[in-house]
Amino acid sequence: MRLRPFALVEPETIPEAVEILARLDGEARVIAGGTALVPTMRLGLVTPDRLVSLHRIAGLSEVRVDKGMLEIGAMTSLSALVRRSVVREGWPLLAQAASRVATPPIRSSATLGGNLCYAEAASDPAPALLCLEAQVRVADSVGERVVPIGEFFTGFYETAVAAGEILTAVRVPPMPEGARAGYVKFCPRSAEDKPLIGVAALVTLDGAKRVSDIRLALAGAAPTPIRTRRAEAALQGETLTDAAARAAADAAAIEADPLSDLMGSSDYRREMIRVWVRRLLLSLR
Amino acid sequence: MRLDFTLNNRPYRLEAPDHWTVLDLLRDGLALTATKYGCGEGVCGTCTVLLDDEPVRACLVLAARLRGRTLLTAEGLESNGAPDRLQSAFARAGAAQCGFCTPGMLLSARALLAANPTPTEHDVREALAGNLCRCTGYTKIVEAVLAAAGPR
Repeated sequence: MRLRPFALVEPETIPEAVEILARLDGEARVIAGGTALVPTMRLGLVTPDRLVSLHRIAGLSEVRVDKGMLEIGAMTSLSALVRRSVVREGWPLLAQAASRVATPPIRSSATLGGNLCYAEAASDPAPALLCLEAQVRVADSVGERVVPIGEFFTGFYETAVAAGEILTAVRVPPMPEGARAGYVKFCPRSAEDKPLIGVAALVTLDGAKRVSDIRLALAGAAPTPIRTRRAEAALQGETLTDAAARAAADAAAIEADPLSDLMGSSDYRREMIRVWVRRLLLSLR
Repeated sequence: MRLDFTLNNRPYRLEAPDHWTVLDLLRDGLALTATKYGCGEGVCGTCTVLLDDEPVRACLVLAARLRGRTLLTAEGLESNGAPDRLQSAFARAGAAQCGFCTPGMLLSARALLAANPTPTEHDVREALAGNLCRCTGYTKIVEAVLAAAGPR
């Protein structure tokens, strides 16, 4: 089955792209890797007359470190991101989460910017970026603004990126000194699925092995990817015992607001949050 | 739109509608039908092709993305009429039944062996995770890829 015909616009600079979007006034959709948008177009869920593809814009696929911050161009594919040794060594949590998205042929097309703009609640990279307290650069015809990742996901498949704006880059602060981090993805059926639930955690322990900094984030646990602040508060200052991990997992399960779908019911997701938050925390002791 | 690219080691220059995917261009534009239309959503893997040596889903990639790049499909695997190492290994292992998934399997396996010439069985299964086969149960496909890779 063919896609419904559309006109493709291929700007070569960010100013050109946002000028086109401003001129088309919400009539066009932006396409990055297409792994999410093309299937939704094929299903007829979106039927744009115009697509603005970002693939010709030089520099949008660059990955570099700037004053200790990792700067990832929005069009960087997940496979290119994971291939970079600077990412694997400096931001292993992000590399681990990005390497769990779908399958190799999807990761080589899918982009980090596209993953965030699609705003899938069960995104693998999103909880890692929430733990790393990333920032998202957004440009429009007036200029540029920076959105903290914690304010980026605004609702079910909704983001802070407004019509006429383009996500241009993701900036990731360095991992805290001595922090341990991990991402677990639970798929009940098949490893290439999106997660039923995904859990990312970043833990720093003090000299007495007490939790001095804890960031915990979930995918598939609410209408958007979320940080679980109450579960974090339950762990602050605690030793990572089985009881403490269990208490935090219970707090995360209560804090979550999971949806029911074909992969699993809301209740099942809540139970799996309990299981996988505890397991992940105990693995980071 | 005008597209210049390399397909199976030959340069191509052609016109294609804006809304065509790589799969539309291969099957309908060029009558190269080794690359199959399965699900159309990037899930089944039978349209897997190599774009600049990386596996991609031809059903998801817009044809515009081909400009200046190199594409390999199952038609480009043989040389002088002789099957390549993976094709021979698939034939010897009996790794195809209906054959619909085979082109995608061959290209995903080729990308794996290029990146990792001596994969474990686990590596093979992971690389082929996105290629569905409803006939074989995968065992012979995995055996064929391991045989093509040679001893670790």
